[in-house]
Amino acid sequence: MHRVLKVIAQIGLLSLFVWLGGRFASLTRLPLPGNVVGLIFLYLALRSGLVKLELIQEGADFLLRHLVFFFIPAAVDLMNWGGVFYQYGFRLALAIAGSTLLTFVVSGHVGQWLRRRNQPCAS
Amino acid sequence: MRLVIMGFGIGLTLGAYFLAKSLYMKYRHPLLNVVLLGATLVAAALLLLKIPYQAYVPARSLMMSLLGPATVGLAVPLYRNRDLLSRHAPAILAGVGLGTLTSVVSVAWLAAFVALPREVVLSLLPKSVTIPFALEVVRLHGGSQALASAFVVATGTLGSVFGGALLTRVGVQDPIARGLAMGTGSHGQGTAMAFLEGPQQGTMAGLAMTLSGITTTLLAPLLIRLLLKA
Repeated sequence: MHRVLKVIAQIGLLSLFVWLGGRFASLTRLPLPGNVVGLIFLYLALRSGLVKLELIQEGADFLLRHLVFFFIPAAVDLMNWGGVFYQYGFRLALAIAGSTLLTFVVSGHVGQWLRRRNQPCAS
Repeated sequence: MRLVIMGFGIGLTLGAYFLAKSLYMKYRHPLLNVVLLGATLVAAALLLLKIPYQAYVPARSLMMSLLGPATVGLAVPLYRNRDLLSRHAPAILAGVGLGTLTSVVSVAWLAAFVALPREVVLSLLPKSVTIPFALEVVRLHGGSQALASAFVVATGTLGSVFGGALLTRVGVQDPIARGLAMGTGSHGQGTAMAFLEGPQQGTMAGLAMTLSGITTTLLAPLLIRLLLKA
């Protein structure tokens, strides 16, 4: 029971960062989502020692372990979009496959090139 | 009555999640995707029981309100691996940055080339990043959240099935670079495959997944203005 309460309280603290991120984005009128700004804030807070890892890690680990669960409700709406796949299936596959191939090649090669350049003898 | 329907929607989704997850754990096949399988189970149950989609919406909103804190929680693995991050900073920043740029620009061009409608193109742009970031890009800039999640899953599946072989084929052997490409190109699903290759690849893929998500949301407003003039 104690652990459950701890996880809930820590999720509450993480939600506070979402809220702060949202407030920051709307006050500065930046077209950024609150959760992304909140993520950057939390990282900075951890780096600066403002927030200790122990204060949030159990809540974060719990949510991340089940992250995929939260994606399911968003995808259920697909039942209303069947026509798009029927109508554009082939073109969609072409665009997705082509772009994914390019993304893999570019990020892999850029990463490898810089790794070799910066540390020629490291593993 | 409302609470009953909401509870039913949540219970249904939890059941679908655990069923899909146990199937995935048993067979570990990249085509057994927990998101698509889970969503199909929920949709099938709603159709069979003749429950309109609208009745599911309140439960959906409640469950998805936890997606915000979960996304913020991604700062934790980033922080735990801060030494790895700074050690490979140039490769990570350039690999993720240019990879993300390639992903968004190339899909916008390809989609325009095959003349897809604007709403579909907007939903395609964040296809390489994990769902919480993709959903926010679509919410802020237009497109459909359902389509975006389907495209994200399609990209992840494609990358996790063919990504490893593709990287070998084009001569990317460095484990860090392979992890970078898998996380940047195919988010969480690519990360799962990277962990099967090795812990170094997996950890790097996880970092790249979060960083490419952040980069995509930061770049989206600018790129959409440049690429898709309304």
